[in-house]
Amino acid sequence: MEAKGWISGDESAKEMLGRVLSRARPFLLLPPLHRVPLRPRNVLEIVGPSPSAKTHLLIQAALTCVLPVDWNGVHYGGFDGLAIFIDLDCRFDIFRFSHLLKLRLASGSISEIDREQNDNTKKRSSIAYDEELYTLCMRRFSYVRCYDSFEFLATLKTLHYRIQKEKAYGNCVHMLLIDSIGAFHWIDRASTCLPLRGNNRKSHSIQTVLETVVQEIRKLLLLHPMLAIATKATLFGNRAMNEAKCRNLRKPDTSYSQSGGITALQLPYREYMPSAWQTFVTHRILLRPSDDHLAVSDDQNHSVYFSEWLLPSLSFLDKFIVKEAGVFLVA
Amino acid sequence: MAPLKSLEQEYPILDSNFQSFCASHDIFSVEDLLLHDLYVLAAFAEQESSSERLKQGIAQVLSIIDGQHQPWLNGMELLEDAQRNKHVLSTGCEGIDLLLHGGLRVGQLTELVGPSSSGKTQVCLLAASNVAKKHIGSVVYLDTGNSFSPQRVTQFICQHSDPAIDQAKHTTLRKVMNNISCQSVFDIFTMFDVLHQLEFNLRSQIQGGDCKVQLLIVDSVSSMVTPILGGSGSQGHALMISAGYLLKKLAHEHNVAVLVTNHTVGGDGGISKPALGESWKSIPHVRLLLSRDHGGSICCW
Repeated sequence: MEAKGWISGDESAKEMLGRVLSRARPFLLLPPLHRVPLRPRNVLEIVGPSPSAKTHLLIQAALTCVLPVDWNGVHYGGFDGLAIFIDLDCRFDIFRFSHLLKLRLASGSISEIDREQNDNTKKRSSIAYDEELYTLCMRRFSYVRCYDSFEFLATLKTLHYRIQKEKAYGNCVHMLLIDSIGAFHWIDRASTCLPLRGNNRKSHSIQTVLETVVQEIRKLLLLHPMLAIATKATLFGNRAMNEAKCRNLRKPDTSYSQSGGITALQLPYREYMPSAWQTFVTHRILLRPSDDHLAVSDDQNHSVYFSEWLLPSLSFLDKFIVKEAGVFLVA
Repeated sequence: MAPLKSLEQEYPILDSNFQSFCASHDIFSVEDLLLHDLYVLAAFAEQESSSERLKQGIAQVLSIIDGQHQPWLNGMELLEDAQRNKHVLSTGCEGIDLLLHGGLRVGQLTELVGPSSSGKTQVCLLAASNVAKKHIGSVVYLDTGNSFSPQRVTQFICQHSDPAIDQAKHTTLRKVMNNISCQSVFDIFTMFDVLHQLEFNLRSQIQGGDCKVQLLIVDSVSSMVTPILGGSGSQGHALMISAGYLLKKLAHEHNVAVLVTNHTVGGDGGISKPALGESWKSIPHVRLLLSRDHGGSICCW
């Protein structure tokens, strides 16, 4: 009877878990993003003053995306898909990306690269890597620059068709990376349009532009499950906090590094993105440079950065440095 | 903001019926379409009588929009372009070249920051003379403070040449000096004019002489931007960021190395920091800090 059909169910729990888990596996990215599992359809915002290694994290994420899981017996642990990089900051360095990719290919896993780089005998000589795999990975990295918000909107509107075309070739897009979502903040803020005809005409302001951006990205994520990561530069400091910090300069600055967490009131920057974007973001991590330097070898002095998860709010700081082979955690 | 009407000639499917349909949804130009949800618009078009034609019009507009952004490149194409076009220009000073890993990179914006009389203009003049002499390229020098000195450039050029026949040296000097084009700009609007004209010339490949522009120097960008910053309005910041993006676009699309100078202001706790604030920090690719006392330089970016 029909009522019985209602009760008996469509599939068992085992079948359901098998279906869901095979498609949506949690992403475990490289440190310092490893503390929170990120899945497709998550939107991660990496926020920090300039410079704080934000673009480096994007590059590492892109590398993990384009590398295959296994190749010729070597385990790379990548996601074997396409990465789409929208560069609003226009400062991307392809040589650095290529160098990091070659180092990863030559050594397999990232901990091995660290050991090899510290071994001075192997410094900067020829790096042996698989040419075919290198070309394949470089081809999986899609890049576009945008010089203003209109170009950015045009890119987002036509991205769906591009991804569909790639799918027709059998390539799956796993990541959407946006460098510096706040790049055109000042330009959009200052541009006001007098409505020429019609009272309901949408004017070009930060609100409407970012609402459209959020709408387009949301539609893209619905149609093509992928992880979206955006960096954001802090444009405004928190003046009260900086002044308090200066007054305490003579006392040893223990409070910052030991207690760890920062509450929402003490954020060292002021949020300037409209609420449409703020509610769209599901995860947020804050990076900032510390005053310490770490001497790795005689001629290299790396500055240490702090990273802290703001959303979900975890109450401890990670420390990391940027070396030639990428981002590494400092204990 | 080109209105849709002007596109009718080139794309006859965007006829008056399509335009009035768009007008009923307050869309009058392509930019308005960028701010609207096209799927919703297509759903509205379904309800109209000429829905097929309207949807074809929307598809046509989408292809117009597709031509409005920069082209997509994959990693290999980016790398090939960088290896072919984005070489390094030596500044003429070994110490600075060492810090910059070879010199000024074409396609990037390098910033020199330092207090007054720390040598910024000297580095600019040296780089200009070096590029004009050795790299067979022309230099555009935008001077905001009347600090361009032809005598100093002559000194740099004649420094290393052997004392050959005066006539030959004179001809070389003339040729090299012809490659450096110096313009005085005193406010940001003139600078926008000059840069737009330069962009137009580069795009239509009108050469003043037989050399392509390799280096663009703006000395100093802070003296043009600082008067318009400040106050509660955001126009100053918007102009500064627009100028930065125009310089970056010139650098990347037309394969020019850009060198700008900036001065320092007092910061928190008495430590001097570069002028132009937080927003400007994300514009230059490379930043060199020059200090006066020991002649040392710190590279940070």
